[in-house]
Amino acid sequence: MRGWVKFYLVRASVLAAALAHAPGAIAVPSFARQTGMACEACHTVYPELTHFGRVFKASGYVLDNLKQVRDINSKKEQLLELAQTPPLSIMLQISYTQLNKAVPDLANTNIPGEAQNGTAGFPQQLSLFYAGKIAPHFGAFVQITYANDSGTIGMDNTDLRFADTKILANDQSLIYGVSVNNNPTVQDLWNSTPAFGFPYASSNATVSPLAGTAIDGALAQQVAGLSAYAFWNESLYAEVGGYRSAKQGSTNQLTGAAGPLDGTSSNVIEGISPYWRVAYERNWGRHSLEVGMYGADFKLLPGGSPDAPMPLQGPYNRFRDVAEDLQYQFLGEEQLFTLEATRIHESMGLDASFAASAVANRSNDLTTSRLWGTYYLRRKLGGTVGYFATTGSVDPGLYPAAAPGSAGTITSANGSPDTRGWITELNYLPWLNTKLSLQYTKYTKFNGDGTNYDGVGRNASDNDTLYLLLWFSY
Amino acid sequence: MRFMERVLICLAAAGALCLTTTRTMADAPDAASSAYAHRLAVGVCGTCHGPTGNSQQPKFPRLAGQNAHYLAAQLQAFRAQTRGDPDALGYMWGMASQLDDATIEALADYYAQQKPAAIRSDHSAQIERGREIFEHGIAAEGVPACASCHGPDAHGLGDFPRLAGQHAQYVLKQLASFQSNMRNIAVMHGVAQHLRIAEMQSVAAYLEAQN
Repeated sequence: MRGWVKFYLVRASVLAAALAHAPGAIAVPSFARQTGMACEACHTVYPELTHFGRVFKASGYVLDNLKQVRDINSKKEQLLELAQTPPLSIMLQISYTQLNKAVPDLANTNIPGEAQNGTAGFPQQLSLFYAGKIAPHFGAFVQITYANDSGTIGMDNTDLRFADTKILANDQSLIYGVSVNNNPTVQDLWNSTPAFGFPYASSNATVSPLAGTAIDGALAQQVAGLSAYAFWNESLYAEVGGYRSAKQGSTNQLTGAAGPLDGTSSNVIEGISPYWRVAYERNWGRHSLEVGMYGADFKLLPGGSPDAPMPLQGPYNRFRDVAEDLQYQFLGEEQLFTLEATRIHESMGLDASFAASAVANRSNDLTTSRLWGTYYLRRKLGGTVGYFATTGSVDPGLYPAAAPGSAGTITSANGSPDTRGWITELNYLPWLNTKLSLQYTKYTKFNGDGTNYDGVGRNASDNDTLYLLLWFSY
Repeated sequence: MRFMERVLICLAAAGALCLTTTRTMADAPDAASSAYAHRLAVGVCGTCHGPTGNSQQPKFPRLAGQNAHYLAAQLQAFRAQTRGDPDALGYMWGMASQLDDATIEALADYYAQQKPAAIRSDHSAQIERGREIFEHGIAAEGVPACASCHGPDAHGLGDFPRLAGQHAQYVLKQLASFQSNMRNIAVMHGVAQHLRIAEMQSVAAYLEAQN
């Protein structure tokens, strides 16, 4: 019992770390087709949004400049307003990943051996988007993705919006609406928050650190959220909402149907987990500055798996995340510069795991900080330098050591989640919808230490990763 | 030669003025068109141009108080994809593509009625040089006085646009586009082809500082 609870909690952490580094943010040419505007109207360089892009998103993706198929009834009520061209796009990522040192080959547990180093992802990811207006005031960003790690097609980031704009008496605008989405922060307007933050794309064939906060992608595509928001005068933004589990690929043992969720599912949200966001943006001249806060309070029932079900009841693990973020953009005619940062602080109350003796502490803290700066010349040549750091409580149950004789690598010898390093990326865009990236991730600390972090002799720098990417969409 | 060029430019300008002023302006927009245009102007156009057309971003021109004939002609040119400067392609071709004539007239009317934000007056050698060029042209280079078409206070004349208070960087970009013929207006190409960068900057700085 203890082992399973521990396994799923650790799995959640690993999942968080993995997803935090998964490609998330996408530029969608169907928006360009719908609006008739070039990418630069909404993006500095994709996927980072400009002020106009943020307003377009908040307004529900509905601005369109296409001929419409319309229908009205005898009361002149509008029944249909449909673009003659569906807002579809395709995105492809082709990549190559090289680790500084190959990872052990589990097939050779008793014999020294290494897995092949140098992974070609062809494709790493192939996505189909429906991104654009569905009806007046109703728009969608829906992504369906084939990924080479799962080898399957599944739901990716999705954000459905109902929005409207009210013109106030003093010619100020009030954009308001609701978002139905499947990833906390995917609905956010700024690129300083996790879902669409840097790195905008990264390898899915490398070693990821154990620890990550819940709001940092751990629940992506496994939840359904409903939030209401208001954006006053295109500057003051507030949003509140809640999330509930919406598992993909899970089956109820009794009914054989997609639900209700039972003990074969892991990390199921207890009740509804609240999400909140406030931000203030000021634009002057060529400058744009945003400061904000966001957070969530997730209560997760550990649950189990089809092979080892655990009842969805009893104590839960609680992950309370409070984060600050900042974004500055300078948009010159030729030169673009962006500085973005976020710090997510998580307080964990691990009653369920502690009761099952799966963790050492009933309460833990975890803090992730990221800061990155991006420069582009004529939207063709540029790069990003980013710093990341995760620090938190030592807990050998949550961040376990390698079992005797095991391969380590994704373990922590000292039970610490501490990880930090740098990501440097160079980009060349021959066209606005095609990006060639050369990215290098340098770790100075990994899962708690710089050297022999896993207790099996692997150093943080062994996980340094060179990542080449061809990323385009059309 | 310079004299002849100036004469030709003035004739072309006069011709353009005659042609455009003979265009019959539609009746004043009806209430529904005005309401729709107001909503568009604040809720859509305003994101770049400011809700009352007083854009705070130098990339996007100030439209408050702009000549309605000029604005309507530009929106029609965007819709017809005949105005070819880079931001026209990237932004306005799409934005204007589905505007009907009534909405174009109502939008133009909306911006013409907006009050330009007060500009803090400024003085410098560059602005003074700009004033000279604006008021008198550069005889030696065959550049006519801008004021002859745009009015002595740069508030626009007839169909010629208001330039007072316009973002200097926007004016500069337009002059460069006229010079390269990306924005293909024969009159302005004739004016801009002899202007040096420093002269364009002076005129742009002068115009930005005018109320």
